[in-house]
Amino acid sequence: MSPFDRRLFSHFNWTLLGLAFLLFAIGVMNLYSASSLRVESGLTTIYYYKKQLFWGLLALGVMFVCVAFDYRHLKALVWPLYGLSIALLSWVLLFGDTISGAKRWIHIGPIGFQPTEVTKLSVILLAAWFLSKVPGQVDWKSLGKLLLLIGLPCGLIIIQPDLGSGLNILLLVGGMLLYRGLQKRVLLTILLTLPLFAPLGWFLLKDYQKSRILTFLNPYRDPLGAGYNTIQSQIAIGSGQLWGKGFLEGTQSQLRFLPEKHTDFVLAVFAEEWGFVGCSLLLALFCFFLYHILRVVDTSKDLFGAFLACGVFFYFFWQILINMSMVLGLMPIVGIPLPFLSYGGSSTIINFALLGLVFNVSMRRFIFKHD
Amino acid sequence: MLQPETHKPPRKNFAFLQILVLGLFCVLLLRLWYFQIFKGEDYAVKAQENRLRHQTIYAPRGLIRDRDSRILAENKPAYALGLIREDCPDIDRTLRQISTWTDIPIKQLQKRFSKDKGLVKPFKPQLIVSNLTYGELAKIESHLMEWPGLQIVTRPLRSYPHGEIVSHVIGYVAQVNEKELRQHPDLQLRDNIGKQGIELTKEETLRGEKGSKQIEVDAQGRVLKEHIVKQSVPGKNIRLSIDLDLQEHAWEHLGNNTGAVVVLEPQTGHVLSLVSKPGYNNNHFVQGIAPQTWQELVSDPQHPLQNRAIQSTYPPASVFKLVVTSAVLQNDTVSPEKKFYCPGFYKLGRRTFRCWKEYGHGWLELKEGIKQSCDVYFYKLGEELGVDPLSQYAQRYGFGSRTDIDLPNEKSGLIPDREWKLRRFGRRWQGGETLNMSIGQGYTLVTPLQVARYVAALINGGRLLKPQLLRNVPPETQKTLPLQEEELQRIQEAMIATVDEPHGTAWRLRMKGADIGAKTGTAQVVKLFEKYKDKETHEIPYKLRDHAWMASFGRHEGQEYVVVTLVEHGGHGSTAAGPVVKAIYDYLFDEAR
Repeated sequence: MSPFDRRLFSHFNWTLLGLAFLLFAIGVMNLYSASSLRVESGLTTIYYYKKQLFWGLLALGVMFVCVAFDYRHLKALVWPLYGLSIALLSWVLLFGDTISGAKRWIHIGPIGFQPTEVTKLSVILLAAWFLSKVPGQVDWKSLGKLLLLIGLPCGLIIIQPDLGSGLNILLLVGGMLLYRGLQKRVLLTILLTLPLFAPLGWFLLKDYQKSRILTFLNPYRDPLGAGYNTIQSQIAIGSGQLWGKGFLEGTQSQLRFLPEKHTDFVLAVFAEEWGFVGCSLLLALFCFFLYHILRVVDTSKDLFGAFLACGVFFYFFWQILINMSMVLGLMPIVGIPLPFLSYGGSSTIINFALLGLVFNVSMRRFIFKHD
Repeated sequence: MLQPETHKPPRKNFAFLQILVLGLFCVLLLRLWYFQIFKGEDYAVKAQENRLRHQTIYAPRGLIRDRDSRILAENKPAYALGLIREDCPDIDRTLRQISTWTDIPIKQLQKRFSKDKGLVKPFKPQLIVSNLTYGELAKIESHLMEWPGLQIVTRPLRSYPHGEIVSHVIGYVAQVNEKELRQHPDLQLRDNIGKQGIELTKEETLRGEKGSKQIEVDAQGRVLKEHIVKQSVPGKNIRLSIDLDLQEHAWEHLGNNTGAVVVLEPQTGHVLSLVSKPGYNNNHFVQGIAPQTWQELVSDPQHPLQNRAIQSTYPPASVFKLVVTSAVLQNDTVSPEKKFYCPGFYKLGRRTFRCWKEYGHGWLELKEGIKQSCDVYFYKLGEELGVDPLSQYAQRYGFGSRTDIDLPNEKSGLIPDREWKLRRFGRRWQGGETLNMSIGQGYTLVTPLQVARYVAALINGGRLLKPQLLRNVPPETQKTLPLQEEELQRIQEAMIATVDEPHGTAWRLRMKGADIGAKTGTAQVVKLFEKYKDKETHEIPYKLRDHAWMASFGRHEGQEYVVVTLVEHGGHGSTAAGPVVKAIYDYLFDEAR
């Protein structure tokens, strides 16, 4: 069977691709608005939207690479990739460049990248492969093995410190486990003992993380300091009201103090200009997007493929959920971007790469169907 | 063909995922509804109220003091009126109001506003009027609440209490231009930056770092709460080696002359005084110089902005005879012991080169040659030495290259040689030009500071030191003159003889109990026409008069100084520059008693 089978094309998941493009386009448009003030100033002009478009094109190329081969070959890459991410993560901790207090970057010549992104891919592959081998519900033994394997890279990421990414990885594996299904007593024990660890975790948190939690509980505790971002983003969102202020009209001047308006708080810019109507549509788009990934999970004919798609589903799901909850004041602030809307080179590339894997699974499902 | 695997997760798990997504997204939607619909009006009002503002905390610029901590540059608060475009509902109406407050024509304000608009970052105040008088301040302050978008900005502004006396050392700060704004992203429009003098060269040290604060205001603009986001870091103070009293003294004694005075400590290279006259009031630049004042400065024939100690070059005249002497002592081909006869002129081919003394000096050896500054004696030395060796020695003594003092736009002067002449004029070097060069005329050009650095090297054991303007900086030897101690001694003795012995040209400097050595110089500006030949200096048109040099050193009770003075178009070195140098030694050594 040639790799360029006609059926590959006809089984391509055009709806999902269309949804992703639509979301990305909304993101670029929104970044244009977020940086328009800077453009007007004539100084320190940074055309975020242009850079984002560039990243998008690059990401598209990466996505095609991820579609081009049969995803089952990835099974052979599980361990090498795992080893590579551990090596890169250790390297970055020892020799990485410190940018705003965290060691996350490796620079090769002019190109800088975060090993965290490679780790996300590697962990999804590892968990998918691992869970596809587990017959039936997950017992203590398998759970222990998997957690040990995942715990190592997660630990390395959290001490960078990059709590957001570490949390994202742990949660996406957790989601995959839930989908696989845990043995009843395993699930119950975990649910019952987890609250006991909460106070312990408090002591492990850094001061700024503690203050974020306290601020979450009461943002007006320190309205000009720690609570500032939360209050300002809420004013921006709320003042959008039903119809929003309109494209490029979101002059909610407070937003100028929002240091993360291009990245983590980009939703506030959108919500101010497009209002409740726009936000509802955005939520619906995200919902469809996630639903179509779930369809792939459901229709894939082998377990590795199903879990692979499931991992990608949770990867996006948690990010969307956590980012929106954070901006909407439902959660303490953690540095997690909103997929397709937040500015970021490596996150855009990894998003489309992972999406490519979902297409890969989706378009090759007929291989299993009929002779 | 492959078979689908069987132990798939149960359907209910898949349903669980769908419910998870829908459920949690409903929570998000509810939350959005709460903010945008339920509380939307409240938030819209809050957004209107614009309760939080950002303000810059200016960092005071580092102070500049003299060696005894007297202040040469300080900061005084100044009040400016800023306009935040984004907070201002009607810019034109606001500008008109400003016009009635300050009596600045509305046209001018509008022009100013639209010209600078593009250079101000959003939500930063654009300074419309940069210096408010107290009267204007009081008027505006009481109405400020009625004009949203207006802000009184308090900034520290530079002030120079001694103005023109130290102007060429201190320089000045003035408003940044567009290019500088691009180079220094932390600067804003109408910030000041060092443009001249030590203010320019030590900009990084002096500037400091701005801070910022957030202020919470109520609907009337009253400040409820302040929160410092970033504390400002004041610029570092610097202490100069300049002695303000000495500087003032030298300034006074230069009188109405145009010229320069340099006083150095020969052992350390510290500059005690660097005067250039006329000076300019550097305070004029701080708040933007008025076009008329600027025109006056630039078109003044005396060029007050020019730092004559380092930015003007002059023929060294007879002062250069010290350089020829050093070269001869160092060079083996010419014997310094040889005597020459001066009949008052020297014939080279068909041309006659005159000595300044019409009937000649008679038989002379080295010391007398320097002491009486005999031109014929040095014509002969120069001719025997040759132009290229002489030029090389002069360059080794630091002439023809900058002293690297911490001041901008220093000139390097010029020491010609055969190759230079050919390159510059396409003609060969003439024998007569060597003679001219030996008495410091012709193409040779030096700055007063270069002369001072060289004289200092003659008496500190041959070390060519970088002239230091900062007090706490160790001496920095740039080069060592390849002269033996006895040879240096010999030059010093000749210079002392020039002051102390009969017929010495620098007899005016004579002072009881102090060892003072000197060399005079009278630099021709143009070849004087016959009709001025026997005229007194004051009878010759100013521009045609000679420049007067006095290069000297003085020792007294363990103190040692080098004093170099140049008086432009002053006439004879001894008569014009001598009294100034004498006054400086009187002061320096009198204080010691």
